[in-house]
Amino acid sequence: MKLTKALEILKGVKSREGDVFTCFLAAGMNPLHLDTFLAAELGLLLPDQRIEIRHGLYGDFVGNLRRIASNGADCGIVLMEWTDLDPRLGIRNMAAWSPSVYSDILSTVRARAVEVQQAIEKTCQRMPVVLSLPTLPLPPISFVPGWQASPFEIELKAAVHSVAHQVSQQAQVRVLNPQRLDLVSPLQERFDVESELLTGFPYKLPHASALANLLACLTRRPASKKGLITDLDDTLWRGILGEVGIDGISWDLDHHSQMHAFYQRLLGALSTEGVLIAVASKNELSLVEKAFGRKDLALSPNSVFPMEVSWGPKSEAVARILKIWNVGADSVVFVDDSPLELAEVKASHPDVECIKFPTKDNLGVYNLAIRLRDLFGKSAILHEDTIRAESIRRSHAGMAAQDAAKTTRTNFLEQVEAEMSFNFTKSPLDPRALELVNKTNQFNLNGKRYTEASWHNYLLDPESFLMVVSYMDKFGPLGKIAVTAGRREGRRLKIDTWVMSCRAFSRRIEYRSLEELFAKFGVEEIGLDFVTTERNSPLREFLTELLGDAAAPGCVISRQAFEALAKIVPVPQEITNG
Amino acid sequence: MDEMEKRLAACFSAVLPELAAEEIPQASANSVKSWDSVATITLIAVVEEEFGISIDIEDPAQFDSFQQILAYLREGAKKAD
Repeated sequence: MKLTKALEILKGVKSREGDVFTCFLAAGMNPLHLDTFLAAELGLLLPDQRIEIRHGLYGDFVGNLRRIASNGADCGIVLMEWTDLDPRLGIRNMAAWSPSVYSDILSTVRARAVEVQQAIEKTCQRMPVVLSLPTLPLPPISFVPGWQASPFEIELKAAVHSVAHQVSQQAQVRVLNPQRLDLVSPLQERFDVESELLTGFPYKLPHASALANLLACLTRRPASKKGLITDLDDTLWRGILGEVGIDGISWDLDHHSQMHAFYQRLLGALSTEGVLIAVASKNELSLVEKAFGRKDLALSPNSVFPMEVSWGPKSEAVARILKIWNVGADSVVFVDDSPLELAEVKASHPDVECIKFPTKDNLGVYNLAIRLRDLFGKSAILHEDTIRAESIRRSHAGMAAQDAAKTTRTNFLEQVEAEMSFNFTKSPLDPRALELVNKTNQFNLNGKRYTEASWHNYLLDPESFLMVVSYMDKFGPLGKIAVTAGRREGRRLKIDTWVMSCRAFSRRIEYRSLEELFAKFGVEEIGLDFVTTERNSPLREFLTELLGDAAAPGCVISRQAFEALAKIVPVPQEITNG
Repeated sequence: MDEMEKRLAACFSAVLPELAAEEIPQASANSVKSWDSVATITLIAVVEEEFGISIDIEDPAQFDSFQQILAYLREGAKKAD
């Protein structure tokens, strides 16, 4: 991003009327243009919010580290350069360089590194923290020639990497990946000696821009995609199955098609991490099934569901997959080698991200893998991720069985042996609860989103409550699928946030949740902070059914009306915690 | 206003957004309240980016008006010719 562009974006950001997202930047340098780039990048990621970047004092890295925890920002960024760890590693310092000072510099760096670690460990209890290791090259302080890594330099780097390793194990800490920074900002293009001397800002503009972009992504990660739909011929494998047969398709070194195996391995990995994988292919189903029976395929057939194989338009196959997955089109990526198929799908599903598979372009496939990692990347793999695909497969089978038997919804739910558990524990913070709140669109009371810090503060309020609902039935567990948060106000319970995963629809969990809230808190009314959003029609339909009229902001459900209306499906084995 | 002036005016508009278009040619550090040392440094960075040049300055204070920066750019363009 050019500085002019960043300034233009900031002009718009300043005129916004939404909530303020605050970020505390703990650095020793004068943040100057980095501030501008960072605010602009965050402004793009948070299109409705105003952005405020706070920082401490110039040259007081340690003091700024101490200030970060008590600042009350939504997020903290620790940006350290070598000169922050020991001023002798910078160019503005007058101290002598000699081998005799190496051990003293090392001691100082190690001590500073421990301070950084402690500050981050303290701060991450209150807000997410991003750590950037030194991005500028070490000065030529060591006596060895530049092409040789000296033990002194290696030890310096080990000290900061040790800190990164320690803090990266904290759930709320994200460490900037130096490898990605190397790709987007070459080392020799980073240090601006003139600017460092003149203003105390050591970065060239392109480096400041690249660094700000990565810091913003770490601060406010874009929502990750949920599902990938792949083509088969000349995508999952090399060759046209219908023309060359089962043994003619390939994904190996011998046939110069190894990168298809690389792509298969990536899809297999994504599947184990909770990404939904489906196939949309114009082919003969029987042939495809045989191809998936090949033992050398690097993607397990069990990782793929559903398999939409027909000669119909791919847009229709994609529509069927979206229905089975029950996810929004904007959460899905479609990969195909044919520009025509990509265009056809895009025309029908404009929100689906359509990506061309670069057949016979090995580097292109490698870069595609990097892009897919970015699109599907997540900071941690939760239990729900590991069971998602299987629960959809089982649920689909169950619904199909219900259709076949023409059983009623109520009978069906009785037969599936549903079990729900309600957990009211607020501490320790459950990352899945916040993930659900921030990712769910359809059954969502008002579309309200929280930062880690604001969620933490909300739950710190002793009047607030949190209910996390888990569900399982004879088809398997769905894990934690619903979150309700609110506060008690006298004889009324006020619900501020209520979301439920689309995977849990049609199980009357929403009715059972209300029943649990009435019982747990003994209130006569539940008030809802309802707001219509573009996508919360399932929630609106539920409220309309419950209230007998279209839901309006501030609507209230009385215990009497609820009990008269709700025919709660038997929930045989129920566990309530907290 | 020639092409160079227009491009420089766009730089000023980005860094000092409160300035109306007609005020920019007369703008100086003395006349514009929000024009501080940070604005000067930012202006220089934006001008370097826009014109693809590297400004070698010992004292950024000499770049304290639209006309001075314009004169610097014209001088540089003459030398390049």
